[in-house]
Amino acid sequence: MNNRSLFIVKIVAFTLMLVAIVWAGIEFYNHRNFTETVVLGDGVSTVKKLSDYYPGLKDSVNDCNIYIFEGKEPGGTLMVIGGSHPEEPAANLTAELLVETAEVEVGRLIVAIRANRSASTVTRPGDAYPLYYTIPTPWGEKQYRMGDRWTNPLDAWPDPEVYVHYPSKQMLAYMDIRNFNRTWPGYANGTLTERTNFAFMELVRAENVDVFIDLHEAELEYPVISTIVAHQKGTNVAAMTSMMLNATEFKIGMEYSPKSLHGLSHREVGDHSQAVSYLLETPEPLLDRVRGITDEHLLLTGKDPFVQKAGEYGLLYEKIDDDGWPIDVRVGRHASTVLELAQSWSDLNPDRSIRVSNVPRYAEVIENGIGFYFANPANVPSQRLAYE
Amino acid sequence: MTFLNTLINASYYVLSAAVSLILIRNIVKTRDAQEAVLYCIILMPFLLRVFHIK
Amino acid sequence: MFVHAGLVLLIMVIAFVVAKWAKVTTELSMAIAALAGALYHTKGIPVRHLVEGSFNYFDVCLIFITATFFMNILKESGAVTFMVRSIVSRFFKHRYLCLLLLTIVMLVPGAITGSGAATVFTVGTLVGTVLTCMGISPNRTAAIIFLCAAMSAAAPPINLWAMMAAAGSNMPYVGFTKPLLVLSVVGKLGAAFILGARGKQVDLESALAELPESPVGMNWLKVGLPFIVLFALVVAGRIWPFSMPIVGLPMMFVLASIAAILVSPHKLRIVEIASTTIHSLIPLVGIMVVVGMLIQIMALSGARGLISLGVVTLPLYVLFFALWFILPVSEGLLQYAVAPLLGVPLILLFNMRGMEPVIALSAMATMWPLGDCLPPTAVVGRATVMELKFKGSYTKDFLKTCLVPIALILLMCTLFIVFSNELAFLVG
Ligand SMILES: [Zn+2]
Repeated sequence: MNNRSLFIVKIVAFTLMLVAIVWAGIEFYNHRNFTETVVLGDGVSTVKKLSDYYPGLKDSVNDCNIYIFEGKEPGGTLMVIGGSHPEEPAANLTAELLVETAEVEVGRLIVAIRANRSASTVTRPGDAYPLYYTIPTPWGEKQYRMGDRWTNPLDAWPDPEVYVHYPSKQMLAYMDIRNFNRTWPGYANGTLTERTNFAFMELVRAENVDVFIDLHEAELEYPVISTIVAHQKGTNVAAMTSMMLNATEFKIGMEYSPKSLHGLSHREVGDHSQAVSYLLETPEPLLDRVRGITDEHLLLTGKDPFVQKAGEYGLLYEKIDDDGWPIDVRVGRHASTVLELAQSWSDLNPDRSIRVSNVPRYAEVIENGIGFYFANPANVPSQRLAYE
Repeated sequence: MTFLNTLINASYYVLSAAVSLILIRNIVKTRDAQEAVLYCIILMPFLLRVFHIK
Repeated sequence: MFVHAGLVLLIMVIAFVVAKWAKVTTELSMAIAALAGALYHTKGIPVRHLVEGSFNYFDVCLIFITATFFMNILKESGAVTFMVRSIVSRFFKHRYLCLLLLTIVMLVPGAITGSGAATVFTVGTLVGTVLTCMGISPNRTAAIIFLCAAMSAAAPPINLWAMMAAAGSNMPYVGFTKPLLVLSVVGKLGAAFILGARGKQVDLESALAELPESPVGMNWLKVGLPFIVLFALVVAGRIWPFSMPIVGLPMMFVLASIAAILVSPHKLRIVEIASTTIHSLIPLVGIMVVVGMLIQIMALSGARGLISLGVVTLPLYVLFFALWFILPVSEGLLQYAVAPLLGVPLILLFNMRGMEPVIALSAMATMWPLGDCLPPTAVVGRATVMELKFKGSYTKDFLKTCLVPIALILLMCTLFIVFSNELAFLVG
């Protein structure tokens, strides 16, 4: 190849590369800076910031909103967090459903929608997730950021050679130092993720939370699925909840939080505070490795013939059929489980009881669709809007 | 500690920038067209990281 | 969806084969395959997916680049020459001990970079010279160098295949040290002693005459210091995790390189070394970036799921009988791409079948590098014959000599997979 054509190849390749990174760069930038609008339901008393409990997070990407509902009568305090793993959309949607609909009769409710905001500003290389998903509502479409399991590397770089969990000194995979559900109870001198967990622990202690619920979704290939994972302090409540739900709404299991597995909310929040901690899992076929075409459709419908085929071979821990696992079913399961946990807790702890009303349950969410419960931000005064 | 971590964080961006510069230098110097194209592809993630985009 | 994903896969294969046939390099052929699959699936160019995919192994690339830079600094400073010369002049009377020590020297570059080519480029020629002076035939010398290089790539702490496959299955890259060490050291010593057993005592004079001079002022302290820095950083991070800042492997290698530069007896042309490092890594870093793009497009279009489904629905005994063949051949064809493509679904399958995934993946990650002598890529094999200025035929002389030790290593690894549960005590 002569000099001239070599030069032309170089220029063309370099220009194409620049075009590609500018093109993709704009998409990444917009995704990272996209804000979701939340309409505060009538039950929300105040919206605080996570940094109100730990100033070390002030002005950081992870300084998320904390929605506080004061009940009409005193009682216990329930806290629900979504967005621990932003690649599990039913979690943040359920948290938002609470914020927009819940009314608290007795006790208090505290909600975080995007517990690890940073992880919701990036999608995982190699997995081809959609950048956004849209939920249809009676007034139009509502758009959300799809996220990743791990904190954005732009907010926490580099990873250590091996991640040593604080304070147990258990060794974990290096990237899990950015996994919000492996860094509990957090570390004030640690990385952004560890500091975020620390801030949440400060909140749990300061607000005297009684029941702490962390919302998740799981792939069907994973054994911990369709279940309530309970800290040993709260197994009776979880067992009662699972029994009630199995009898009236849907099948859900209950298991004990392993004592030797550190960094997870169901273990550490219970160990390091007065709260009883629970973690809820619903099935999300988008996370399965054998899934077929990866797109928003799969994310929202949970329908996938490849995952179904794996099920026929007995390789899955949850059933899947032609109906898939639609987002409304997943959100409905979470909503009912949260309400039922609060109910069972109140039955067993009448002096710290919590009564939440107006939140739709499983059957209603499936019938109306989750979008039905989201109000139009255009019709709401700006002081009743929050941004995630 | 925070200072050291910030310093290390910055040094990683410097490292990526250094790799990017060497890649660009190699694009200019190489005599092999296919190699030049491959250098350009490799450059993509490094440049986007240097500019704090991804 | 089965048909669609199958078509995407077919289009990718055709694009790859046509590109290879048109004399395009493996890396660019894979990029073309990714682009072709993307064009068919999206009826456009999914720029965001292609660019995002290129980030897939970004961290691994950084480790790889800095580790190789570190090895190249050591080579240029004369540390490697010094080590080989010292071993030969001190132990030339004890042939087996000499062979053993040289095998260990050949473990280091691959173990910390994860690449067999790094071993060949940094110590291959030097060790090859000594082996020839031991009366080992050129065929066997080349075979020993290649096999030691392949096993050093498999050796811990850095095994790129295991890292890439573990990352793809959300599995921690923890507990691999012992199984990988056992497999790679046994494999390496086995190969070296099977091929190098017969011969004569080292001819010291001709060996020292043929080896390059080691630089004046080099000593064991100067050779050891960079390694001590590296080791200290790793150990400190584990002993005082909460009072040490997080350095990360790439910066550890940079700091160790700086130590090596400071103690080097002569001035090093750092920019030149960095530039050669990148240049010599082009095929490997290039393949990791391109494979990331390919994997993203395959995930997007369902092709990845189809392959995974095909793998996980196979009966286990078929795998036991086929893996020893499939893994090296696929490595020869696709290089590191095999780890996410075949490794991830295999781990999934092992998990589902109740096998110990760490042992099984360690065994697979020791089988893959053996395929680096197989065409069409044959990266490490070609590097070996190039560095040693090997005169014989690539297949008839070099590959044929490698066959017996390769078969034995493959057998050992297959047994590790079959008995993964019994060997679970190695994970720990
Ligand atoms: Zn989760």
